Amino acid sequence: MKTDAMEIEVLSYRGIDVLKVYGDIDLYSSPGLRKNLISIICKKPGTLLVDLSNVSYIDSSGIATFVEGLKNMMCYGGRLKFIGLPDRIREIFSFSRLDKVFEIYDGIDQAI
Amino acid sequence: MENAIEVRNLRTHYGNIEILKGISLNVPKGLITAILGGSGCGKSTLLKHLIGLLKPTEGNIIINGRDIAGMNERDMDEVRKKIGVLFQGAALLNSMTVGDNVALPLREHTRLEGSTIQIMVRMKLDLVGLSGFDKFYPSQLSGGMKKRAGLARALAMDPEILFFDEPSAGLDPITAAGIDELILRLKDIFRITIIVVTHELASLFRIADHVIMLDRGEKVFEGELDELRASDNPRIRCFLERQAEEREYTPEDYFRIIAGD
Ligand SMILES: Nc1ncnc2c1ncn2[C@@H]1O[C@H](COP(=O)(O)OP(=O)(O)O)[C@@H](O)[C@H]1O
Ligand SMILES: [Mg+2]
Repeated sequence: MKTDAMEIEVLSYRGIDVLKVYGDIDLYSSPGLRKNLISIICKKPGTLLVDLSNVSYIDSSGIATFVEGLKNMMCYGGRLKFIGLPDRIREIFSFSRLDKVFEIYDGIDQAI
Repeated sequence: MENAIEVRNLRTHYGNIEILKGISLNVPKGLITAILGGSGCGKSTLLKHLIGLLKPTEGNIIINGRDIAGMNERDMDEVRKKIGVLFQGAALLNSMTVGDNVALPLREHTRLEGSTIQIMVRMKLDLVGLSGFDKFYPSQLSGGMKKRAGLARALAMDPEILFFDEPSAGLDPITAAGIDELILRLKDIFRITIIVVTHELASLFRIADHVIMLDRGEKVFEGELDELRASDNPRIRCFLERQAEEREYTPEDYFRIIAGD
């Protein structure tokens, strides 16, 4: 069973929170992702960057986790921005048309 | 081409009666494989072996590199988490709403939060065209909608392999065509490996990449759709021609299908 296929790093870049995810975001790792995401969002950052450049796979539980995160940030006007989406993940986002809802940027400097 | 499933010399019995008589076949990854054959030839029996519901008398069933034929239940449960199944009469639980039916496998097998599961359920229902039906009970749905709800449940755990046993049985041609389009989308978007037992030629020619035909427990054909069409094997011709005589669509149905609603 996949349990520890994912790792998370929380960084700060020019005063902005960056959540960097490594590995697979799946049914088993999504609860850990959610914990990290929610604990950052609780502090109501104006912007949160999520770096997916090292993510090889995301399933619907991962997408649902980000949907919940964005929903929580929208309540107070915060912005959730994604950078470094691998092609396959961008495809999955665009199929569900979430690419129109999530803010997606190529790199960190375009995002801030 | 990479195979999601490889079956080698599969022999099965119900009691003393041999049902599958030493079958070998491949299911290519990320494509749609159709299993054809007359009633009682062993199609459902084959599917039940592929998902580990029945154990063979002999042979190997390799799924993603692991032989499930002799696998214990605990390992089998892990394999099953990556498998989605929509079988004939695989009923939804009538005591639960459609949303709870879809959520059930996630609640049983994962530690996802309820809030995450709720969003996932809405995603799956949207995918099968049932947005907004999460609070409905199965008895309030039409046959085609029940099929879609069953499919949403089969998709709950984001399976890598999906099995359908005659998904359009009992549905009118337009509803059946809708299910076919959904199956194609699952292949294209999520790259799910799909195995479909089907009777209907219209469906076969619309969705299949790879075709396996059984006859009385033996494999009589395996290959691409074009090879099937061109085959001069009398048993295959007979199957295709007998089926072709049963007109599937009226011209009006056909027009509505191709014109789009
Ligand atoms: N549980 C069972 N016990 C005994 N015989 C069975 C059982 N299930 C199916 N059979 C028999 O095995 C043969 C193959 O059945 P099945 O795989 O359901 O065929 P198909 O799906 O191709 O119509 C049939 O002759 C059927 O009567
Ligand atoms: Mg059957």
